[in-house]
Amino acid sequence: MELVRVDTQRAYQAIREQITTLELAPGSPINEQRLAEDLDMGLAPVREALKLLAHEGLVVIPPRHGLYVADVNLPDLEQLSEMRLTLESLSARLAAQRATPDDLVVLDALRQEQAATPVEDSHRLFDVDHKFHQAIARAAHNKYLANALERFFGLSQRLWYLALPHLGFLPSAVEKHLDLAEAIKAGDADRAEQIMHSHVQDFYDKVREVLTEPR
Amino acid sequence: MDTATSSSPSLALGIDTGGTYTDGVLLEYQSRRVLASHKSLTTKRDFSIGIERVIEGIHLEDPSAIQMVSISTTLATNAIAEGKGKRVALLLIGYDPDLIATFKMESHFATPNFYFFAGGHDLYGREKAGLDLPAILAKVNEIKDRVDAIAVSSYFSPLNPEHETRVYQAVSSVCDLPIVLGHQLSTKLGSVERATTAALNASLLAVLQDFVIAVRRAMERRQIDSPLMVVRGDGTLMSDEFAARTPVETIHSGPAASAIGGHFLSGLDDALVVDVGGTTTDIALVDAGQVTVSEEGATVGDYKTAIKAANLLSIALGGDSHIALNQAKEITIGPERVTPLAYLATQYPNVAQRLKALSRRTWAQATPDWLEYWFLLREPQDGLLRTTQEKALVDLLRAGPKPVPEILQRLDVWHVTQVGAHELLRQEVIGKAGLTPTDLMHIEGRYEVWETEASSLAWTVFCHSQFQEPEALRPQVWSRMSEMIVHAILTFLSGKTLHLSKGQGSSDRDDDIGRWFFYNSLYHTHPKLETHIRLRQPIIGIGAPAGIFLPDVAAAFHTDLILPEHHQVANAVGAIAGSVMVEEELLIYPHLSRSGLEVLGYYVQASDERHEFEGLDEALARARALSRERAFGAALRSGADNPQVAIEELTEGLDTYRIRAKAIGNPRLTR
Repeated sequence: MELVRVDTQRAYQAIREQITTLELAPGSPINEQRLAEDLDMGLAPVREALKLLAHEGLVVIPPRHGLYVADVNLPDLEQLSEMRLTLESLSARLAAQRATPDDLVVLDALRQEQAATPVEDSHRLFDVDHKFHQAIARAAHNKYLANALERFFGLSQRLWYLALPHLGFLPSAVEKHLDLAEAIKAGDADRAEQIMHSHVQDFYDKVREVLTEPR
Repeated sequence: MDTATSSSPSLALGIDTGGTYTDGVLLEYQSRRVLASHKSLTTKRDFSIGIERVIEGIHLEDPSAIQMVSISTTLATNAIAEGKGKRVALLLIGYDPDLIATFKMESHFATPNFYFFAGGHDLYGREKAGLDLPAILAKVNEIKDRVDAIAVSSYFSPLNPEHETRVYQAVSSVCDLPIVLGHQLSTKLGSVERATTAALNASLLAVLQDFVIAVRRAMERRQIDSPLMVVRGDGTLMSDEFAARTPVETIHSGPAASAIGGHFLSGLDDALVVDVGGTTTDIALVDAGQVTVSEEGATVGDYKTAIKAANLLSIALGGDSHIALNQAKEITIGPERVTPLAYLATQYPNVAQRLKALSRRTWAQATPDWLEYWFLLREPQDGLLRTTQEKALVDLLRAGPKPVPEILQRLDVWHVTQVGAHELLRQEVIGKAGLTPTDLMHIEGRYEVWETEASSLAWTVFCHSQFQEPEALRPQVWSRMSEMIVHAILTFLSGKTLHLSKGQGSSDRDDDIGRWFFYNSLYHTHPKLETHIRLRQPIIGIGAPAGIFLPDVAAAFHTDLILPEHHQVANAVGAIAGSVMVEEELLIYPHLSRSGLEVLGYYVQASDERHEFEGLDEALARARALSRERAFGAALRSGADNPQVAIEELTEGLDTYRIRAKAIGNPRLTR
C-alpha cells in the first residue's frame, strides 16, 4: 500500500467505508462517474480504488458488464467462516507462544478501552474489537498470517454491520476478550486457541441466523 | 539534436503557488525552452482554482503531451504562520520536563499538546530508561479524539530509534491517527528541533494531502496524466507521495524554486537572486551553480526545525505592499499586502468614480485613510458570522467596496480594531485594497493591466495630503523601496544586523557609524568621504516588478542587474528545473560496554535498520555500501531517472561518524 497514490488511498478508504457500513448495499451496481462526483475526486483514483476493493472481494468486476458491490450469501459466508475460524485460532495460538511484553501492553490497553466503551456506541465497539483481533495477529509475529486475515477483514466487517441490529452478544465478547488476553499472557496456547475458536464461531452463528431469517 | 530519437518533444509544466500569484510555465524539457507562461491570482482558500486557471491560461494544444508537472507551494509555510495546521499530540520520550521548563522551550514545540514519558537513549545509543508504554497508551486513549495526528520524538533517536519504533507499533495498534516519528525526518541530534519538526510534519500531513489531491484533480480535469513532483525547501524535487508524507520539507519551496529558476534562465553560476513578488521579496545565493543551503535547519514563524532548506532572507515588501502613513505621518511601504486599487477599480467600476469625487474634496477632508477600501471576496459560509457587528459589516460590503472611514461611520465605531473583522479578513471573506507600488507602476505606464485612472486619482489625493506634488513624491517611494532591499541584501550577506531608525536597536551607539556608512554609500552625502558597497556577483532579478525595483539596487551595489528572458515566471521555471534528490544518512558509533570503558564493536544505524561490526573499518565500509544502496533505491522510488550517488563522510567526535549518500537525477518523464 505504501506507494499507492494519495488520492487513490483516500478514495479507497471512502468507498470501503460506504460498502462495509452497507451504505452501498450488497449486490448494488456501482457507477464510477457518480461515485467520483460524490467523493469530489477524479475518475482515475476511484477506478484504482475499486480495483483494490475487488482484490479484497468487496467489489466484483465482471468482464464486459458494469461493476457491482459483492453480494452476501450463505455459501460465501460458510467459506469465509471456515477460513477465519482456522486462521484466527492459529493466530491466538501463536500469540500465546510469541507475544512480547509490548504486545501484552497493547492487548491490555485495548481490553480496557473496550470495557470502558458504552454498549450503545456500536461503531466504536466494532472498531476496538477489530483492533483487538489485529493486535493478536501482530502478536503472532507471522506477517503472512496477519496479511491473510487483514485482506478479508472488509468482508467480515460488512457482516458485522449486517448483523448489528441483532447483536445481543456484545457483553459476552468483552468477557471473551478478557479470557483471551489472560490466556495469551499466561502463554497457554491451547486455551487461547479454543477461546478464539468459540468466539469467532459465535459471531458466524449470529450472522447465519440473520441471513436465514425470512426478510 | 540530441533528442532525435523521440519524435515528440517532452513537455513539462511548472507551477508556483505564491502568496499573491500562481505562475505557470510550459517548458520543452530537453531544449529547456519556455514555450508559454501564464499568471493568475492565488486562491488561498482552494489553491486548485488558481492552478486550474493557470493551466487554462497556458492553452495546451495536447494535454497528453505533458510528461511532468512540478509544483512549488507556500502552503506549508503559510499554514504554520497562520496556525492552520491540524491538531497534534506530541509524545516526548526521555525528555527532561524540568530542563524544558527552565529554558522555556515549551513554546518551541509547535503544539500545546505535548506529554513527557520515561524512556530514551544516551549518547552511545544505550537505553537511558525503560520505555513506559502503558502510560503512553493510556494517554493516547485519553486524547485520541481531540487530535488529528500524533508525533513521537525520543531522546537520541537518530542513534537508536528503538523506542520511537516501539511506540509506533503500539500506538498504531490502538488508534488510526497518522503517526510521525522524529528519527525519520532528521538524523540531527538536537532533540528540541527534532520534536518540533515531527510535530510540524504531523500538523501538515492532511494539509498537503488535500493539496496534492486538489492538484491531481485539476490535472485530471485538464486531461493531464503525468507524474506530479513537489519542490522541497532546498529546491530539489520529490514525488507527490513523498511530499504527502513529509510535508515539512516543502517549507520555503517557493523561494528555493525562484533561485533555481534564476540560475537556470540566466546560466550564471555565481549570483545573488532577488525575487520581487506581490507579497514578499526573497533573497538567495547561487554559488558554483548551486543554491546555497542552510545546514542549520529552516526557521518558519517562531519555530526552528531540523529541515534543510535554501539559505534565504524574505522581507515583507512587494508590488502589492500597502503604501500608507504611520502614526508619525511618515510614508510606510508594507509589511501588509493589499489588493491594488487599480485592480479593485477593474472589478468595481464605481471605485474610480468615488475616487474622483474624493479628489475634488479639500485636503483636510480627503485624508489617506479614505484610500483604504474593504470589499467582500466571497459569501461567508454558514456559521462564520458570529457577531451582529460582523453581520452588519458583510451586509454593508455586499453593496460594493467601501472606504474605511465610511465603514467606521456606518458601524458607528471610532477605530478599525473595534470593527472586529479579524476573523473575516483571515478567512478571506473580506479583502483590503489600497495604494500599492503596483498602482504607481500603472501611473508611470510601466505595468498597465488594470485601471490606471483609479491609481492616478488615489495617488494625487495621497500626495496632496502630504503637501507634495505627485511627480515629486513617486521617486521617494521608489528610493525607499530600493533602500529596504539594499538593507536586506546587506543583512543577508553579512549576517549582521543594522537598525536603520534610531532607538530600534539595543546598542544604538554601535549602529551609528553603520547607519552613516549605509546612507553615505547610497546617497553620497558627505562632501569629503566617499564610501561604496560593492557586490562582486551580479544580481539576477526575478518576478514581474524586478525590472522596476532592482536597477537602483544594482546601482547601489555597483554591480550588474541581469533580467533573463521570462524572469517574470522564473519561480515556475525553477519548479521544473530542479533535480530529484534523496539523501540517506547513516550514523556509525561505538557499542560501549555498560561500564563505558570498553568498545565492544561499532553500530551502523540507518532510519530503520541497524547492524553491528567488530571493527570500525568494516562498519564504515558497510555503511558506505548501504547508504549508496538506500539512496539509489529511494531516488528511483521518488521519480528520479538514472540517479547518481555521491558519498560524503563526516566525523562528529566521540568516535562517531556520519556517512551521507546523496542520490541526484533528473525527474523521470512519462513517455
